Parts: sequence; structure tokens; C-alpha cells
Amino acid sequence: MNWLQRLFKSRRMEQELDAELRFHFESQVADKMRDGMSQAEARRLTRLEFGGIEQIKEQCRESRGTLWLASIAQDLRYGARILTRSPGFSATATLVLALGIGVNTLAFSLYNLIVLQMIPVRDPQSLVSFERRSPENITPAIPWDSIVYYRENTKSLSALMPTMDGAPMVLDHDEQRVKPSFVSANYFSELGATASAGRLFDSAREDSVGSDPVAVLSYSLWQRRYGADPSIVGKTIRLSGKPATVIGVTSQSFANLGTSEPDVWLPLMQHTYFVDGSKPFDDPKFDGMITVTARLAPGVTMPQAAQELLTLTNQLRKLHPTLIWDQEYIRVSPGAHFVQLDERAFPIFGLAGLLVLLILAVACANLGGLLMARGVSRQKEIQIRFSIGARRARIFRQLFTESLLLAFLGSITALPLSYIVLRLALNYSGAPRWMSAAPDGRVLVFTAAMGLVAALFFGLLPTLQIVKRSNGKKLAQRFVICAQVAASCVLIILAGLLVRATLHTIYSDPGFGYTQVYSVDSGMNEHGYTPAAARAYLDELERRLRALPGVTSVSMAFSPPLVNRGVMMTSIDVDGRSVTIYPNWVGPDFFETMGIPLLRGRYLNSADKNAVVLSESLAHKRWPHEDPIGKQWKDSKDIVVGVVGNTRAMEMNNTDATEIYYPATDKELPGMFVLIKTSGASDGLASSVKSIASSLDSRLFPTITPLKEGYRKSVGQVEQVAAVISLLGGIAVFLAVVGLLGLVSFAVSQRTREIAIRLALGAKHREIFSTILRRFTLEVLAGLVAGVGLTAALSQILRRVLFGISSLDPISYIGAIALLIVVLATAAMLPVRRALRIDIARTLHSE
Amino acid sequence: MKAQSRLDLPQGTLDLLILRVVALGPVHGYAIAQRIQAISKEALQVQQGSLYPALHRLENKKFLTAEWGPTETGREAKFYRLTNTGKAQLRSETESWSRLTEIVAMILQNPQGELS
Repeated sequence: MNWLQRLFKSRRMEQELDAELRFHFESQVADKMRDGMSQAEARRLTRLEFGGIEQIKEQCRESRGTLWLASIAQDLRYGARILTRSPGFSATATLVLALGIGVNTLAFSLYNLIVLQMIPVRDPQSLVSFERRSPENITPAIPWDSIVYYRENTKSLSALMPTMDGAPMVLDHDEQRVKPSFVSANYFSELGATASAGRLFDSAREDSVGSDPVAVLSYSLWQRRYGADPSIVGKTIRLSGKPATVIGVTSQSFANLGTSEPDVWLPLMQHTYFVDGSKPFDDPKFDGMITVTARLAPGVTMPQAAQELLTLTNQLRKLHPTLIWDQEYIRVSPGAHFVQLDERAFPIFGLAGLLVLLILAVACANLGGLLMARGVSRQKEIQIRFSIGARRARIFRQLFTESLLLAFLGSITALPLSYIVLRLALNYSGAPRWMSAAPDGRVLVFTAAMGLVAALFFGLLPTLQIVKRSNGKKLAQRFVICAQVAASCVLIILAGLLVRATLHTIYSDPGFGYTQVYSVDSGMNEHGYTPAAARAYLDELERRLRALPGVTSVSMAFSPPLVNRGVMMTSIDVDGRSVTIYPNWVGPDFFETMGIPLLRGRYLNSADKNAVVLSESLAHKRWPHEDPIGKQWKDSKDIVVGVVGNTRAMEMNNTDATEIYYPATDKELPGMFVLIKTSGASDGLASSVKSIASSLDSRLFPTITPLKEGYRKSVGQVEQVAAVISLLGGIAVFLAVVGLLGLVSFAVSQRTREIAIRLALGAKHREIFSTILRRFTLEVLAGLVAGVGLTAALSQILRRVLFGISSLDPISYIGAIALLIVVLATAAMLPVRRALRIDIARTLHSE
Repeated sequence: MKAQSRLDLPQGTLDLLILRVVALGPVHGYAIAQRIQAISKEALQVQQGSLYPALHRLENKKFLTAEWGPTETGREAKFYRLTNTGKAQLRSETESWSRLTEIVAMILQNPQGELS
């Protein structure tokens, strides 16, 4: 008979147990009567000898081993009855928990989606991605010669899939550009992709340079641009002027590797056809990024593959000594995740995790307070159960089962909450289609675990208090209030800091003029322009642009502000401390065009060779007490000729960013962006630029971006972070209000009689207010102090995103504390006000 | 008549006594208590609070099996019987018990071990 059968037979067993003990009892009575005792006396004596019959039964059940299951079922039933008896409390508790757990579930779901989950492609476990490393360099770009060598000689990899993202292309004559991705011919078949129309790339047909130019459309481009017309297959489209035959459309659910969502896929081998002049295959110093995803051969592990690649790399060094770096190796990592988590992201993920856990802590603290208050009113019930012989452990388990039941309800409610918010977020952010908001196994387990953790936090302390029947109740309750005020305080202050930082970013001067400036990306680099050709092109383009009406100045920069293609960074050591610097290579009129003020020395001019201009912050950091003009920069030949104002061009929320400006050299020319400053309306600018560009070189399709757009985008990101944190702060305040409201209500309800007597004796309302509320002031104050201290410590982590605002910004701190006090005072006041309206006579007669 | 001194049974000893009594033939709980009391000449009084949990524990371990049947007075009672594993258990327990008592006695009677 196993425990399950036993559980089912428990009713019969109970009857048998009862009969067995009754038989014993009766036999004992009968024996006593045989010795000459009266029946009443015999029964009385036997009962005394027997002791608690219920305890004996309980011990028998326990020794049978069925108890734990049967009694847990019993506890659950009992707990459910208790919870349904006070629906108001249960609903509040469930909501509070659902918020606390829901925020955590949401955060984890996001983490799960972008870091843990694998992209839904064929056999994602065996996909790996390459990173080229040496002690000095790290890059995801792999030289073409290496790729070919690896592909021909590897035994540990069953396939290599080189891919390369391209600059946006002009589709036919559309205004809106399309994003291409150049992929190997085996790309789709390796990923197990199917076509929703036509066919995808075929290794036999698209794997050579001379094959017919073809294109595969993304499902969304097909819907958007061609109204899902299947007859597009076989037609010819023009991409940046190059004709190509559409051979098919990917399926709706196709998951592309990596984070980009291309509109059109082109065969990698045809890159030289689509991008005129590009040399990805024969120029080892080719600037584009060919990245590699590979598939491990069956039974091969990542370290084995890495080992083989190292051997191949070393062999390759003998063939191409200049191509391979010193101590070069290929780092192999799992290739089917949306984002490869690297070490730099840990503090941010840690902080986010901490914040959501704080919310859960507030929820738990506040529920703990409510439970403790309820414990006081349940004293009578617990007392009875102790009196009829329940042991402490048993009562403890019963009460804790109730907590678990609440936690379960909270977790169950948290799931749809998190699902809805995540779904909205995914839709709003235009996440890839394969990302689903539906919780997977990991999320379910996490949510259940959070529920359990929450139950431990909010349930354990009050339950122990009740079971111990100790008088430490007050102290624990105080601690709970203190903890929840402290945790809310942390969240509100952090929210305040971030909101202030956002406002600062938006409303303060970025250090340069951007409203009338346009950047033009010529696209020369991709088309294999030599420096000399680039110089000629740029000179002519600038000359023609200057002649346009409304154009006030024209210049160029390698990293134009706000539309940067990836920020470049370098660093210097000043007295052992590393200072991060944003380098830029600029044309002569750059500072005038961008409206960056000259503070000392002079601007760069076209004749400058070994001159640099520093931003004020960099000059100050490098030479705090000296005049930087005329100084040698590092150990180069460069001499500092000028100091200009700080800009927040590369880091929108850092007013202290340090920048260095070099005159453009030949090397940078093909990658230069042209900057145009206009006065007044500039409606016709884009088309004028286009016509000038096409008359200079019809292969190039320059991209024109107003800096305003970039500005809006970067500000938008900062705003979003602040909005999320504010939402968390709001939830924390709400939770704290619910908690305090409950506690004060309870305190008032316990003292209704006292209040009535005081009122009858003529006490003023104000006095009653203060007597009741005084009990909470100390705890709230202690909580505030702890919260402020904790925030001050925590905000050190936030320093990086709080530029312009001190991490101890008094306005944020005072504002948050004031807000919290007002909200808490209101929450505390309400129940007392209600209590003051009681009917004195009725209350006093009621007991 | 009460036992002059109530002895506390060491853990597990009660189980051994129960097994021994049940080995004599099918018997119900009350009779087990009575017999232990009688055989020990009233020196041991088995409390219901220990007896029944022990019986149920032994039954759960499959050393005992139980059946309902009529007593000599005609009432229905639960009769316990030794199973084969129960018999084996009784043998090994009895053996280790006598070894243990021998050793304990040996140590207690050793003059060198006397407390100074």
C-alpha cells in the first residue's frame, strides 16, 4: 500500500484508529469495574490515564507517514476557508503580492527573452559564434581569407555561415531605404528556414561571385511594400540601382540571427555586385564586418572547436604572415542567443535586478505587517487550538500554509500581469516576431520560486510571532513598517534622481547647435573609394553644397554628433587614472558649423597637420593647472592649438565628456560624414543633395539625416529609463500606502472603544489623532533615515547615468522624502478620521 | 497497585518488547500493554500515548500486520501478528540487545572504571 492509496483509504483508517483506541479505553474501564470500581469512577480514572486521545491519534497518524500529505491537504482546505472568510484582506494581499512578484516576473521574462532563450532555428544548441581575439584586440569581424581557410580545413564544424550587414539601400525609387543583410548561400538551409513564397538561397546556385543577382525579401517588407503579392517572385527589383531577381520571401516566423531585422537578404558572394567597388574578398584590410556563425559537427564541444580553430589559425599565419595577429585566437561562444551577455552589462543587470527585488521587499514587508496585525485578532483562535493540544510545529505549519496559499495566489495573478505588460512592450518596441510574451518553463519556475521566497519573507516573521505567543510583536511590527518605508524611500529617491537627470539632459544646452544641421553619409567607404578619390569627391561636394541657397556652412567629421555609427573611444592615463576620450577627425569649419565655442587658442584650419583641439573638460583633466596651448599631446607629434567648449555629442547625458579633435587625414577621408548648416527652412535640401551626389557619382546613394532626429532618439532612450524607474517608484509608493493604511486601520479598529471613551470624556480630535499616529512616527522616521542612507550608497552605481546631477542631489532627496511623508500621512489619517465619526453610545454598549 | 518506580524505556526498546509479545501469537493493543505490565511484574507501564504510535510505526515498517477479529468477550478488536520480516527483526534486535546489555554490564562492573 503506497502513500497515495493510504491517502484514499484515510477515512477508513481514521475509523479504525478510533475503534482501536475506543476498544482499549473500554477494556480498561471494564477491568477497573471488575476490580470493584463504579462505572463513573472507572471512566473518569481511565480518561485521566489516557491523556489526550486526539494527541495519541495524531501521533499514530504521524508514525504511519501519511500525515504530511493528509494534513497538508487539511491545512490547505483550512487556509482556503480562512482566506475566503475575509475576502477584502485576501484580495488586497493578492494584489500587493501580484505587483511585487509581477514586476520580478516581468524583469526575468525580459532577461529570459534576450539572454537565456535560444532563437527558434534548427538545432540552436549546436550554433556557435566567432570572435577574433588577441591580447590587444577584440573584434567580431573575421577576415575572409581566414573564413575560407577554416571552411576548407575544419573537421569540428559542419558548416560556417558568414554574414555581413550592409548600409541601407534604395529600393527602386522609394524614399524609405531598406536594410540589407548579406548572407552565405547555406544560411537559410542551415537555420532550417522555409519560404512563404518562392525559394530561399541554395548552396548550389548562389555560392559563387558570378551567379545571377538574386534577393530574398523579408516577410514584413513583402507585406508592407508588395501587399503580400506572390507574383513578386521572379520579378526584378533595383537595389541602389542594381537589378536583382526576387526569388522568394521568408516565412513570417523566420528568426534571423542577431539583433538586426533585415528587409532583404542578398547572397554574400554578390556583395561586389551590389556594392560597386567593394572588396570584401580580396582586400584583407577590408573595413566591413563579416561575422561568422558556425554549426558544430555532431558530438563536438565548443572547446574542441576552439582548439581546432587555434591550430588552423597558426597554420594560416605561415601562409599569410601579415593577416594574423600575434597570439590570435578565435573565441567560440553559443551562437543562438539574441544577445551575448558580456561582463560590462553586469552592473546594469544587477541594478535592475536589485530594484525589482526592492519592490518585492516592499510588498513582503507590507504584507508581513498586515499578517502580523491579523495575527493579533486571531489570537483567540490560535489559543483554542493550543488548548486542545496542538503542537507548535503544527500551528506553525498551518499558518505558514496560509502564507504559501497567498503566495500562490499572488504568483498566479502576477503571470497575466507580467504577460500583458511584456506583450505591450514587445509590440511597442517592434521586437522580432519570434519573441513571445507567453511565459515558458523557466519563467513559470522563476515565478513560483519568487512566490516561495515572498512567502518566506512575509510569512515567516509574523507566523513565528504568533506561534511563540511572545510579546516581541511590537518590535517585529515596528521593524516591518521601518523596512517598507525604507525600501519605498530608496525607490522614490532613485526615481527622482533619474527624472531630474532626464530633465537636465533635455532642457540643458548640449554644447553644440543641432537644430539646423544635417549630416550626409556619402557611402564612399563601402564602395572602395581611395583617399585621393574621396578627397576629390568631398571637395567637389562641399563646393557645390556651399553654393546652395540657405546653406550657411559646410564641414565634415568622422564621427558626426548624434548620428554616430558606433561610438569610438580611447583613453589616456592621467596620474594613474584612466580618462575616457571620444576622438573625432574633423574638417576645417567643423566648430563653426556645429556652433561649438572657442575658449582658448584657435580652431583647426585646412593647413593643420600635427595639431589637436581639446574640449575644455579634457584640457582641465590633462593639465589642471597649466595652459594647454602649445603642449605636446601624449608622446605624438601633435601640438594642442586650441580649447573648445564641452559637448555632449557622444554621450547625451554626460556634460563632462572629454573630446579630442584631430584634423582629418587621408585614412579617414572615405569614411567622412558631411555636415551642412542651414538658415531658415530647408525643405528642398534633401533632394538638392541627392541630385548633386548622383551627378558626382551615380553609384553612391548618400543618406541624409537631420541631427534633430538623432537628438530626439537619444533623449527618448534616457526618457524611457526614467519612465520605467518612475513606474517602479509609483508601485512602491502604492504598496507602502496600502501597507500603512492597513496597519493604521487595524490599530484604530483595535482601539475603537478607547477612542469612544476618550470622545465621550471630551477629548479633542487632534489629541486622538496624535495618540494613534504617534505610534507610527518613530518607525516611519527610522525607515526614512535608513532609506536615505541606502540610496546614497546605491546611487554610486547610478553615477554613470546621472551626469549633470549629483548622486546626492538634494532636490531629489528632499522631494522624495516630502512626497513619501505626505502620502503616508494621508494614508494614516484616513482610518483615524473614519474612526472619529463613530457612534459613541453604540460602541460603548457593544461589549 | 502501582509500579514503585516508573522506568523510562530507552528509544527503540518498546518496539522490541512489542515484537516479543506479539511473537507469542495474535494479540490486540490492550492485551500487549497488559502483558508487558504483567511479565515485568508491574515494573513497566506502557502508556497508550507510546504504545499505539509504536504499533502503527511497526505496522508501517511491515514488521507487524493487523486484522480485525472478535475477542473472547465478543467485541471487535484489532489483532496484531508478526510478519516474516518482523520475526527476522525480532531475532536480530534481541541479539544486539543482549550484546549491548552484556557490554554495558561489563563496563559498569569493571573495577577500573569505577568513579573515584
